[in-house]
Amino acid sequence: MQTLEYFQVESTEPAGGELYRRIASTVITDHDILRVLDRLRIFIDPEVPIFIAVGITRTVPRNVIVRDFAGITYDGDKVILSIADETYLAPLLELLWRRFGKDRIVQPDRFTIEMNLGDEEREGIEEMIVADPTEGLFRDLIYTMQVICPEGFKVKRQSFQNGRFWFVASENTLQEDVTPLIEEQFSIMGEAS
Amino acid sequence: MILVPITYKGGVYRHDEILDLIEDMGGYIIQKHMIAQDVVLQALIPRDDIEILRTVSRPLAGEVIFAPLVGTEIAIVSMSLEIHHLPHASCDVAEYLRTAGAKTNMIGLARGFGKRIGLLSDEERDIINEHDLVIYLFGNFETCIKQKMPTFRRGIHIPIIVTGGPSTDSLKKLIDPPVAGYVGGFGRFMHRTKEAPEIAKLDEIVSEVSRVLDGRRSEIAKDPLSISPARLMDVILEQLPDIHDVTSPVPVVVQMDGVRVKLPYDPFAAQLKEVEVEKGVAVGTICDIRPSRMRDYILVKVKPFSDTGMMV
Repeated sequence: MQTLEYFQVESTEPAGGELYRRIASTVITDHDILRVLDRLRIFIDPEVPIFIAVGITRTVPRNVIVRDFAGITYDGDKVILSIADETYLAPLLELLWRRFGKDRIVQPDRFTIEMNLGDEEREGIEEMIVADPTEGLFRDLIYTMQVICPEGFKVKRQSFQNGRFWFVASENTLQEDVTPLIEEQFSIMGEAS
Repeated sequence: MILVPITYKGGVYRHDEILDLIEDMGGYIIQKHMIAQDVVLQALIPRDDIEILRTVSRPLAGEVIFAPLVGTEIAIVSMSLEIHHLPHASCDVAEYLRTAGAKTNMIGLARGFGKRIGLLSDEERDIINEHDLVIYLFGNFETCIKQKMPTFRRGIHIPIIVTGGPSTDSLKKLIDPPVAGYVGGFGRFMHRTKEAPEIAKLDEIVSEVSRVLDGRRSEIAKDPLSISPARLMDVILEQLPDIHDVTSPVPVVVQMDGVRVKLPYDPFAAQLKEVEVEKGVAVGTICDIRPSRMRDYILVKVKPFSDTGMMV
């Protein structure tokens, strides 16, 4: 885990904590979230029981717009999109269908989209936002934490805001306000930085 | 005649000669796997004849290896069927024990997760009890193992081996009253076991299982079984023609004190009871025949000599 700025797994049972460090590093690598994760701290107390993960993500890439992955040419009323990267083709088609209707969007082959659009409609098409990379990020992060956390910790709460995320899970009911627990872990992580 | 468990690995070419030789020696073939051009046999053969088998198999590039767990059925209990416990470490252990000759069944508990709510259902408990030995694969925290253990041992009357993250000594201290075997340093992990220390741990599990089963064998030897389970398997395969219609790779599973016959209980139990082992001795007289909790199979447990007064 060389690429993480800060990575620590602590437990009230040091031997178990050390084993969980190995689990966490395997899961993070397997789920390919190393590229977005900057700092991560996990605390586990099996006696309570509680699992707390706090972390900070790296700056994630900006929104993906049409211009990023498609070339645009105009032929009279026709707007032709030549797709360079197929990754975003499906969400783009969804967007276009919703905006202009299916009957006006033709796809003669896999990498070409033809549309009959008026002058007003074609305005801003190059800048249209197709995907938000942060959308799936939170889901992926939380899923990773769920896999790392001990089996049976089914009561969970999580948050992701401004690049800071936390995940708290327990086998028993969680206390109403988990903020002090999270802040404590964030401050330990801050102190160590 | 003392039978020893072995694994034979060789090519398909002329392997029928090996099968004939084992039968002529008075040995039993427990399992036969044909994998592409290779044949893997798990067999029990007379101890004095191992060298003959080695000599015959040499020109065929066959290999005879001692496999201590041939003729045993072992339950590997994974605490749940979620990604936390599968495929590693449960599958790794099950697969490795198979290389040592054991027939392993994996049992994923329906309510095993978590130290507070983990429990065994009566079906799970009964299925575990049908095996020769059970391995519980616990996690990494001492607290959890300590709290869970009483629940998981309740009603289990076969030897238990516990594996977990804490060291073997810690496991011994944690678990009271003691169980049959412990392997520490092998708890929850999320990667495949392929590094040397991990393989060594798997070897440790095999040797612990062998040690516990040797103890069980000497217990059985004090009051021997009326028929050897391997011979019982042979008799069933010979005299119950329907068994050859079973598509399972091992239609009759040999255990230490019986066999599991993979035929439905209701239509075949009466027929199985009448199968003659020797003139005047039917399977029903020397064995308990009961429905297995595993699907609708038949579980046959051989009665000891003290019960039947005969050995065939």
